Amino acid sequence: MTERSPSKRRLHRELLSLIKEPPPGVSLDAEQIEQNLFLWTIHLEGAERTLYEGESFQLQFKFSDNYPFDSPEVIFTGEHIPIHPHVYSNGHICLSILTDDWSPALSVQSVCLSIVSMLSSCKEKQRPPDNAFYVKTCNKNPKKTKWWYHDDSV
Amino acid sequence: MASPSPSTSHDINEPRDGGDTQNTKDEEKKDENLLECNICLDTAKDAVVSLCGHLFCWPCLHQWLETRPNRQVCPVCKAAISKEKVVPLYGRGSTKQEDPRDKVPPRPAGQRTEPEPGNNFSGFGFGDSGFHMSFGIGAFPFGFFTSTFNFGEPRPNVATHGTPMYMEEQFLSKVFLWLAMIFIAWLLFA
Repeated sequence: MTERSPSKRRLHRELLSLIKEPPPGVSLDAEQIEQNLFLWTIHLEGAERTLYEGESFQLQFKFSDNYPFDSPEVIFTGEHIPIHPHVYSNGHICLSILTDDWSPALSVQSVCLSIVSMLSSCKEKQRPPDNAFYVKTCNKNPKKTKWWYHDDSV
Repeated sequence: MASPSPSTSHDINEPRDGGDTQNTKDEEKKDENLLECNICLDTAKDAVVSLCGHLFCWPCLHQWLETRPNRQVCPVCKAAISKEKVVPLYGRGSTKQEDPRDKVPPRPAGQRTEPEPGNNFSGFGFGDSGFHMSFGIGAFPFGFFTSTFNFGEPRPNVATHGTPMYMEEQFLSKVFLWLAMIFIAWLLFA
């Protein structure tokens, strides 16, 4: 009875609702996710009339057994990492809801929407100023980074 | 007022009936979502509501409160919450709810405040306010006795202005005020 674990139950519910009513610009490969519910790959489309219109990205979600009490590990993967002041070239994202401000009422859907909206509000495509240093020194797991959230404008 | 002709009322009613069935379906669907726990997304078991109005299973909310004991906030709206500030929901016949997750401490109990007893001035009960009033106005020794040997209530009512008892109370309060001031002065300067 693998369905018993509460994190699996909840992930399954989220998957069903995302298949049923995917938010605009978000798509996923349900069969691949069913194979391993704790590792999701999600396709994102840059929103219309923003700097990222026409671009598509891949997000990777890693969940722990303690989801949704623990936040998922969310990074951009694949060849195309968006150029954004809060996205490092290794795919790590500086977004407070992914660590300090995580709440179990958030979901894959709300995280995707937050990331799309973070991209949409960008005024100028550029990497974070400390990109080179961070990428060289950081842990593979973005949740191990002690993020310093200071810029709410983008 | 003229009553509407049959044809008009028919015209009005027909589309509305169709809409009603649609609405009921939507509402049923909505109702299901309304009773879902905001954490596990299942129908809430051992349901509790935060003071900000958000519904959770007690085991789910408890686990969240334990996850961040020093920063307990509502998962939905980030209002401050705590174990003491959630209200359990008891549906009809829910007293014998059996929950297998017994590692979780019991759901906090509902708080009941007794309604305040209304003032009744019947004047017959011993220790009721009407009783005091009628004797307090009397001559000094009598009034003094009633208030001293008054077992019904811990504090007698304030005496009416102008009576000897009132004067005495004024005097006593002045004496105690001076005593308190002397005591404070002693504390400060000793």
